[in-house]
Amino acid sequence: MHSMLERRKWEPYLWLLPSILLMTIFVIFPIFIVFKLSFSEISKAGVVGDFIGLGNFKAAVTDKAFGTVMTNTLLWVVSVVGISTFLGFIVAMVMNSPFRGRKIARSIIVFPWATSLVIQASIWNYIINFEYGNLNNVLLNLGVIKDAVNWRASYQIEFMWECGVGIFVTIPFVAFCVLAGLQSIDNTYYEAATVDGAGYWKKLTKVTLPLVRPALTVSTVLNIIYVFNSFPIIYTITKGAPANKTDTLVTYLYMLAFYDQQKGPATALSVIGFVLLCIVAGLYMMISMRKEEL
Amino acid sequence: MKKIVALLLSILITISCIGFAAAEGDITLDVIICQYGNNTNNWFTGTGINGKNYVQLFEEANPGIKLNLEVVSWNDVYTVVSTRISNGNPPDILNIDTFADYATEGLLLPVKDYCPDALYNDFFPSFIAQSVIDDTVWAVPDLASARAMYYNKDIFDEVGIAVPTTWAELEDACLAILDYYGGDVYPWGMDMTTDEGQAAFSYYVWNNGGGFVDADGNWALNSDANVEAVNFAIGLFNKGYTNPSPATQTRYDLQDMFGAGKMAMVITTNQLPTYLTEKGYSVNFGTAALPHNDGAASGATGVMDRVMAFRDDAYADQAARNAAIGKVLEFFYSPEMYTGWVSMEGFLPAVSSAVSYLVAADPSFEAWLNVLDSCQFYPTAKSEWIDVKQGVIDVEQNAMLGGDVKTLLDELQAKVAK
Repeated sequence: MHSMLERRKWEPYLWLLPSILLMTIFVIFPIFIVFKLSFSEISKAGVVGDFIGLGNFKAAVTDKAFGTVMTNTLLWVVSVVGISTFLGFIVAMVMNSPFRGRKIARSIIVFPWATSLVIQASIWNYIINFEYGNLNNVLLNLGVIKDAVNWRASYQIEFMWECGVGIFVTIPFVAFCVLAGLQSIDNTYYEAATVDGAGYWKKLTKVTLPLVRPALTVSTVLNIIYVFNSFPIIYTITKGAPANKTDTLVTYLYMLAFYDQQKGPATALSVIGFVLLCIVAGLYMMISMRKEEL
Repeated sequence: MKKIVALLLSILITISCIGFAAAEGDITLDVIICQYGNNTNNWFTGTGINGKNYVQLFEEANPGIKLNLEVVSWNDVYTVVSTRISNGNPPDILNIDTFADYATEGLLLPVKDYCPDALYNDFFPSFIAQSVIDDTVWAVPDLASARAMYYNKDIFDEVGIAVPTTWAELEDACLAILDYYGGDVYPWGMDMTTDEGQAAFSYYVWNNGGGFVDADGNWALNSDANVEAVNFAIGLFNKGYTNPSPATQTRYDLQDMFGAGKMAMVITTNQLPTYLTEKGYSVNFGTAALPHNDGAASGATGVMDRVMAFRDDAYADQAARNAAIGKVLEFFYSPEMYTGWVSMEGFLPAVSSAVSYLVAADPSFEAWLNVLDSCQFYPTAKSEWIDVKQGVIDVEQNAMLGGDVKTLLDELQAKVAK
């Protein structure tokens, strides 16, 4: 009996050991290395030199592209996470209401999210192509437009397309998180609300929203992390061109590290990104959890 | 049952480790080769040479030397190499374009230490001169490519204009083509992407008497000739003579447009015919020298890649290692191997012994070899080259957004000269 209790004590840790080991080797150790590198001088050839304090951070932050890149990153995260959460919520509501073919609709909805991002972005590249793009072809054939339209006429428009693709691929994820939350709501709440004379909006704001909040919190926090770190869409469509005007932090630091061979400032930027992400995700979780407790 | 599986697995792992260990006395060289095209992998490690590959043939001819050869894509090679350097495990032999940073960091062996004299003297001297820092040769050229202007003969016949040789003629031709086709054909191809915008820079500045460096070899990015040349290029874009997005449309996009008959002129590498055939395009094209400004000579842009050897000071028998590296080069540049290699990907040779072989097989090659003689190369021996390369692309892209070329080039010059 005693040995059984003893075993119960250490057994969970034994089962956790493989994942802890993997996390240490593949997550914690690399993070530690990057922090160390960000304070070291790194030559263009890749030789790691002496400790130089905040030199890399200074070089990264004072580069004239830094402001543009941070603004873009903010726009990118806020618009993609915000709009996809809003639209994803609506999609989830629709998917939760009974209609014929709901099962098929649910599986179709997941496609944009289940396809590889590089493929998604490449396909959108084709769709909006000026010379042979599908969008122009369809609109020309329907007679909506007379001449082919250049859908990427300026970098602002290109960046909007990138955000659009980001939203498109993120909606299914939000929709499924919310859908799971919606399905766990007991129907009796709605019955009670109906008896009390609540209309559609009252039910939505007083019953549905509070009860799916945990699911929304999870999907939003995960989305902030995914979208912030998302690389393939922007890299495939514009590579940050022209002149870093469509770069976000992640594509910018990749180009800095592997095209410009400025590894020092690039590691500094990745540390900045990591810290920012920790703060934003942490704050969001704290705020939303506090609301739940109230 | 689980125990038996675990035991079997651990035995398997041990055996596989033993299997990879080389026999005693052998030298194993780590070689990294860049992937030039679809055939590179097959030639080096597959079945590309009459059912065999370079590694097999080399090891058969040179017992005692083993090659651990890896073909890496151009996209990844810089990352792979710098990661290996950071971890203290650089390759023994590397094929890449740049060398200056590795040389100035003291990571490379001088070519004289390992390259046999006969082979060394076979390289075109003008090529070797591109890999010299402080009077020492640090790398040898593996191949070269030259740029020319390709034009669609049918479009020129249809519009009824002559092939332009000067900038003024070029603008006239662009205008005529634009008027004739009303935007269905782009008169002029322009690639100012992060992939190769530095090439575009060279096409214009070298044909206006400018360049990356002055006569003394110092950076001269903001010279008057350069400002004029970049303004001319941006002018072509602003007047609507080019493809719509030079900042994101790469050379391959342009080659596709040219192949599809949607582009009248494009400057690109001597590999274009190979590319068009492989992609199934049939376009009636001709080649011409790059258009130049009045009063300036027409300059061709040459691009050269290199092979270099890294130091391994911990290795016991340095003489044997150097000799082994020399053997790898000798075998690669032997006419049978080397001519197969350069012609497979449509490149130009870097050793003179290959020339007679290639001309005998294809007389049209001779024209390109003459171009090679007059080629100008990027100043890759200067360690600021990577900053300059990215810097001029940034200048071009900002200029297309409306930035002032003079100011942008002044800023870049100040940054690089610092």
